[in-house]
Amino acid sequence: MNGFLYGLALQWKLDIRSKSILVTCYIVPILFTLIMGGIFTSIMPEMKSTLTQSMLVLSVSMGAYIGFPPALIETYGSDIKKVYKANGVPMYSGLVTMYISAFVHLMISSVIIMLLDYVLYEAILPNNLIEFFLGLAVYVIVSLSIGSILGLIIKDQAKLTMISQLLFLPSIMLSGIMFPSDFLPEFFKNLGYAFPASWGYQLMLDGGFRLENLWYLSFVFVTAIIAITILLRKQKFE
Amino acid sequence: MDIAIQVNNLKKSYGKHLVLKELDFTIMKGEIFAFLGINGAGKTTTLECIEGLKSYDSGKITINGKMGIQLQSSSLPNHIKPMEAVKLFSKWNNTVIDYAMLNALGIEEIKNKKYLQLSTGQKRRLHLALALIGNPDIIFLDEPTAGLDVEGKLSLHQQIRKLKSQGKTIVLASHDMAEVESLCDRIAILNSGNIIFCGTPKQLIDKVGRKYLIKIKTEYEEISFETDNIENSLLSILEELKQKEVHLLDIKVDRGTLEQHFIELSRREA
Repeated sequence: MNGFLYGLALQWKLDIRSKSILVTCYIVPILFTLIMGGIFTSIMPEMKSTLTQSMLVLSVSMGAYIGFPPALIETYGSDIKKVYKANGVPMYSGLVTMYISAFVHLMISSVIIMLLDYVLYEAILPNNLIEFFLGLAVYVIVSLSIGSILGLIIKDQAKLTMISQLLFLPSIMLSGIMFPSDFLPEFFKNLGYAFPASWGYQLMLDGGFRLENLWYLSFVFVTAIIAITILLRKQKFE
Repeated sequence: MDIAIQVNNLKKSYGKHLVLKELDFTIMKGEIFAFLGINGAGKTTTLECIEGLKSYDSGKITINGKMGIQLQSSSLPNHIKPMEAVKLFSKWNNTVIDYAMLNALGIEEIKNKKYLQLSTGQKRRLHLALALIGNPDIIFLDEPTAGLDVEGKLSLHQQIRKLKSQGKTIVLASHDMAEVESLCDRIAILNSGNIIFCGTPKQLIDKVGRKYLIKIKTEYEEISFETDNIENSLLSILEELKQKEVHLLDIKVDRGTLEQHFIELSRREA
């Protein structure tokens, strides 16, 4: 347990040093919020009630799909994974520490973005903060589990960048965070529901923390955990 | 002498390609044992099967003692600092950090650098320190001096000899014949997944049966000849020179390097 906690604290520091998490969880989402928050609320003042949720879906998706997987590739796509075996540490240990560390980073950046939206653009705070943060936590957990699959399956950083973008861009464009999904053609509207971002967004809106918005994310999470378990077992016997 | 590692009928394949073909060998406690072979001979695979880093198809591996594994120089995150890695490994192994050992390996000097900023030699020393953290009885070194300059090699050889003097068993894989010749008590030569020789360097020379090459330089000439019986040959030639009152300037006896014997044996096996 002592080793696990030290490993977790160390991973948190390494994430900041490696800059991948620093850029995708903090710098880019915060800059995006600072620039786009002003534009969105001036073009559509009614967006003040959903600005925070929109920015958080973008921030979490970016961190989980683009920032998190490279750290996994660095470990599981290289000889670093042998460190665990050589020291009798379970193979999943690295993934768990990276996952928890990324979760903390994403929650911290989410709070920063929420406060910036509130202070700078008079974004309306959620009515029920507990439900809001629960919804946010669920979306972060599900997104990181998808990021975990990407990091464990793909061994090449260039390929990862391409596939991450294929997941990230539709998540942003089709989830209703940039503009209401009702504006989209029926096909794209339905396609949007294949991405967790649409459900995460609904989950964080006022009164959205309901089973009808949770079931799909739960399904994705359970499926991802099964896939991660299989991928880790495969790594163990490679 | 007790047995540190016993390997029986070890088989390992990658798909249809059999890379280790029923290996049998024993490594004794306190010795420096080396696996020699060209790239692809199966040295690293053999080591990794013993270390538990790789699964194997069949066979039995018995290990008597705690293992410490020096991993290759790409097995830590780029942004970790040496002391952070040391602390993490010591917590995983539930041991107290041995600062004397860290000082001896020069880890204190590099403690504030990131892993990616370390030179090859510094990385090797760090990995050796990490392998020693749990105070292991058996230490595995895979190509320990690959990429090091002469000074780095000598320093690491010194550390390895020191470990042997402390009673540790050292198992290494290498293709540096000079290194193996100067360090190791016994060697196993691997060729296409088979052990074609296992014994001391002297036994290898005897097996290959290379003759002694004697080079003599006198005030008048230089002569060289081969012989099986070095003692009689030297005594008779020295007697002859004495009788003729010829001054001897230099004498060299050469039985070839380990490298020459390795090449000879590999050629024969092929």
